[in-house]
Amino acid sequence: MLKVENVKKSFGAATVLNGVNLTVRPGEVVSILGSSGSGKSTLIRCINGLEKLDAGLITVDEFDVSKPKELAEARKRSGTVFQLFNLYPHMTALKNITLAPVEVLKRPRDEAEAEGRALLASVGLGDRADAYPAQLSGGQRQRVGICRALAMKPRYLLLDEVTSALDPEMTAEVLTILAKLAAEGTTMVFVTHEVEFARQISNRVVFLEKGTLLVDLPTKDFFDPAGGLAQPRVAQFLSKMRKD
Amino acid sequence: MRFDLTILAPHIGFLAEGALLTVQACILSLIGSVILGMLVAIARTSAAGWVRRLAFVYVDLFRNIPFIVQLFFFYYGLPEIGIYIDAFTTGVIALSIAGGAYASDVIRSGILAIDNGILEAAEVSGLSKRKTFTRIVLPIALRTSVRPLGSVLINMILTSSILSTITLNELTGSAKIVASDTFRPFEIYVVLLVVYAALTWLVSLGIGLLHRRLNRDMLEPVG
Ligand SMILES: Nc1ncnc2c1ncn2[C@@H]1O[C@H](COP(=O)(O)OP(=O)(O)OP(=O)(O)O)[C@@H](O)[C@H]1O
Ligand SMILES: [Mg+2]
Repeated sequence: MLKVENVKKSFGAATVLNGVNLTVRPGEVVSILGSSGSGKSTLIRCINGLEKLDAGLITVDEFDVSKPKELAEARKRSGTVFQLFNLYPHMTALKNITLAPVEVLKRPRDEAEAEGRALLASVGLGDRADAYPAQLSGGQRQRVGICRALAMKPRYLLLDEVTSALDPEMTAEVLTILAKLAAEGTTMVFVTHEVEFARQISNRVVFLEKGTLLVDLPTKDFFDPAGGLAQPRVAQFLSKMRKD
Repeated sequence: MRFDLTILAPHIGFLAEGALLTVQACILSLIGSVILGMLVAIARTSAAGWVRRLAFVYVDLFRNIPFIVQLFFFYYGLPEIGIYIDAFTTGVIALSIAGGAYASDVIRSGILAIDNGILEAAEVSGLSKRKTFTRIVLPIALRTSVRPLGSVLINMILTSSILSTITLNELTGSAKIVASDTFRPFEIYVVLLVVYAALTWLVSLGIGLLHRRLNRDMLEPVG
């Protein structure tokens, strides 16, 4: 279980997370919606330990991310996919994928490579294993980014607006893969502006507003006029997203 | 006076030996500079304050002292306190130390230019600080530093002519000898001008090729 309990985080005088509670159970897909600046990225960055919490507790399978000794374990259990891919530019797609399994999990190189190739094949990049990031399109890069995260066999996949740097065609490529992962039971925390897609793949949708979780409902209820949509901020947000 | 290059023919072998010595000294010094520059660049990002200060003092000091003074200190000064080093070794050490101060700046800015997102990706994957440095930071910094390190090398070739002042018969030193043997300084120094220009031109050509080769995969347009 991934648990976020009463987490607070400020940057200087600005409070970005103001007591967030969120539980993600294995097998769930939880989408996080919210307007720009509401703290979605900060929440993800607190979960993977890139930001320190000011207060509260985050545990990934019981491992407390605020404790340096437990953070390493917590990080082995979560994989992050970034908005701007953040691939290692000097390594081939395959190397990007096998680096951490070999260096962190101490997997034998040939096994890691075989798995890496299989992952690449599963996202339709079987023939691009030896390409460098700069030789790939944005959508291909993000698919490598997803493989890189999956290669660590994480229990939880954290995705922060992984398609917002992509054009519609490439977005579709990446979303197809995420839908497949969701169908296979991959646990995902999915920050997105793709409301329709979130609706299709999520078990739950949460709405972050000014650093607090305004709504946390099963997907069906979230989009129900008597459920999430009863919140004026949510209704406003969704109608704005639909217009864009 | 007649301009006659043929009078230099008997001395070509001697000059070539000098040129070879220059090339050897510069290659060794480049290796020395890059290793030293790397260590100093690391030291400058060290957590320990005194290490950072020491590295900073080194860079500042050696950039602000004329090379010939450094060289004389090593070659004529150190024997006074019982340290004797031959001219070639002294030259390589002095060039390495002086070049290292510049190389550390170059490598440091290469390190600082690395996109933070890349480092965050390494961090969340659980890669240790050390592995992140050796597998990601250093390779990226070195390959983006090829061009400025090339300038350090070219400077080194030019500066190495000063090694002739400590009895080392590298290119300039042997030219001086030939000039005084033949009494034809005009011809010999014309040749020297051309050889240095050709040497540095070749090096910068090589650097350009190396840069393009190493960064080939990084330069291609985003598609
Ligand atoms: N390192 C930082 N230093 C200072 N302020 C920050 C930092 N990171 C984020 N913030 C601020 O925190 C607030 C929330 O940022 P965050 O990136 O979490 O929002 P978001 O919900 O992900 O927005 P978006 O949809 O635009 O990605 C913003 O006002 C942002 O300016
Ligand atoms: Mg964000």
